[in-house]
Amino acid sequence: MKRILLTVLLGLLLVSAAWAVPQPQEQVEKMIKSVLDVLQKPDLTANEKKEQVSGKVQEFLNIASMSQRTLGSYWQGATEEQRQRFSELFVKVLEGTYLNRIGDYTDGTVQYLKQRVKGDKAIIDTQIVAEDLAIPVQYKMILVNDVWQVFDVVIEGVSLIRNYRASYGEIIRKDGYDGLFALMEQKVIDLNGSY
Amino acid sequence: MLTRFIVLILLLSFVDAPLHAEQLAEVDVPTQVIPAGQKGDKFDRDFADDFDGSFAEAEAINEILIDDPLEKINRGVFWVNDKLYFYLIKPIARGYRLILPRQARVSVANVFNNMATPVRAANDLLQLKFHDMATELYRLIVNSTVGIGGLFDPAASFVGVDNVDDEDFGQTLGYYGAGHGFYLVLPILGPSSLRDGAGTLVDTFSDPIRYADVATLTYFGGKSFKVVNSLSLDRDTYEGIVRDSLDPYLFVRAAYAQRRAAQVGKVNYDILSIDGNFWDEETFNPFKWLGL
Repeated sequence: MKRILLTVLLGLLLVSAAWAVPQPQEQVEKMIKSVLDVLQKPDLTANEKKEQVSGKVQEFLNIASMSQRTLGSYWQGATEEQRQRFSELFVKVLEGTYLNRIGDYTDGTVQYLKQRVKGDKAIIDTQIVAEDLAIPVQYKMILVNDVWQVFDVVIEGVSLIRNYRASYGEIIRKDGYDGLFALMEQKVIDLNGSY
Repeated sequence: MLTRFIVLILLLSFVDAPLHAEQLAEVDVPTQVIPAGQKGDKFDRDFADDFDGSFAEAEAINEILIDDPLEKINRGVFWVNDKLYFYLIKPIARGYRLILPRQARVSVANVFNNMATPVRAANDLLQLKFHDMATELYRLIVNSTVGIGGLFDPAASFVGVDNVDDEDFGQTLGYYGAGHGFYLVLPILGPSSLRDGAGTLVDTFSDPIRYADVATLTYFGGKSFKVVNSLSLDRDTYEGIVRDSLDPYLFVRAAYAQRRAAQVGKVNYDILSIDGNFWDEETFNPFKWLGL
């Protein structure tokens, strides 16, 4: 009898643990803060900043989901090796892009407008305000292992992943996977040079 | 006894659930928790853009954001525009930025913005956005007088009547169900589409400067000045795109298609399909116009 009771209680504990979902918006806030903290350190060189930020961003992004969705049906057609290679390069391209972008707006402030949560998905509406411009930025998130992770950023109605998908799909159609990887490698080198 | 206890706990766990869900609302932003079972609501539409395209719908995931049958020509024009930007227009904008302080350049942008009010108001009217139209006209009157010909924006800074979304004839066509048609890169003007290119042309008819009886040269001089001024306030957006993307042409094309679709408020890739919101209840209900 005692054992049954214990099992039930344990089961209930697990159930309530699943309900106590963390805040998706807090996660976005944490991500932005962790990046800005590093970028605003005056005594670091550009390269040091980049190194410190790179690990931090990855922990908030769902790289697997982002890579998959960027390649779309080409993900299915790819070998395991090609997927691996793509994910690795894609992270670097994303990081470079993100760092350059956020670096442009270090003087701006981020306003959190609202969050919508539905099951394991969430949409966070924010706004970057700098001088006389306000740019709406939307974060789309999914809950993975009780952690909210960003898998798409929508800036002024333009979804980053969709944009990548449209471009990368076309490049694969024309030049194959190897063509895409070559372009990405070149881009990573260029991006690193521009800090 | 034990059975009763278990039942009680089970019952409690159901009561327990929504309480925990509500804990989400304890942050400082408005939070909306939507029941997970609900289907086809606004959340799904906002989210689905890239999420629900599971691999069963591989077609949807390789969607074409905008047709581009003229890609060869477009790429040629894009290349010319790119060179014009980097070697002519941008250097001029940079020099101009040195001459005029930022606040003055913002004022110049305000004047141009104020002068273009009729274009936006006309398209608000065509899209039956009466509240937006009234806002545009109110801002025009206040900013032209108190704001000294539009140099300043007292309508926003003193009265708190902010800018509304920009409307143009391309968006009006989109509102009534027209899709992009196909992608076009216009010389100097940059990315456009069949629909929006036609829209740009139509919009020149509601542009007051067209009727101001100025010489053609002055007219285009004014337009160029507007471009240089707005570029002087820009934070190197195009440079960023060139730096970040594998193929800037493809990136700009996709971004343009998405941005315009978002401005129209819906995604529609087929110019021949008509599924506009003209014939719905809101159109004919005067109480909805007045927001009652």
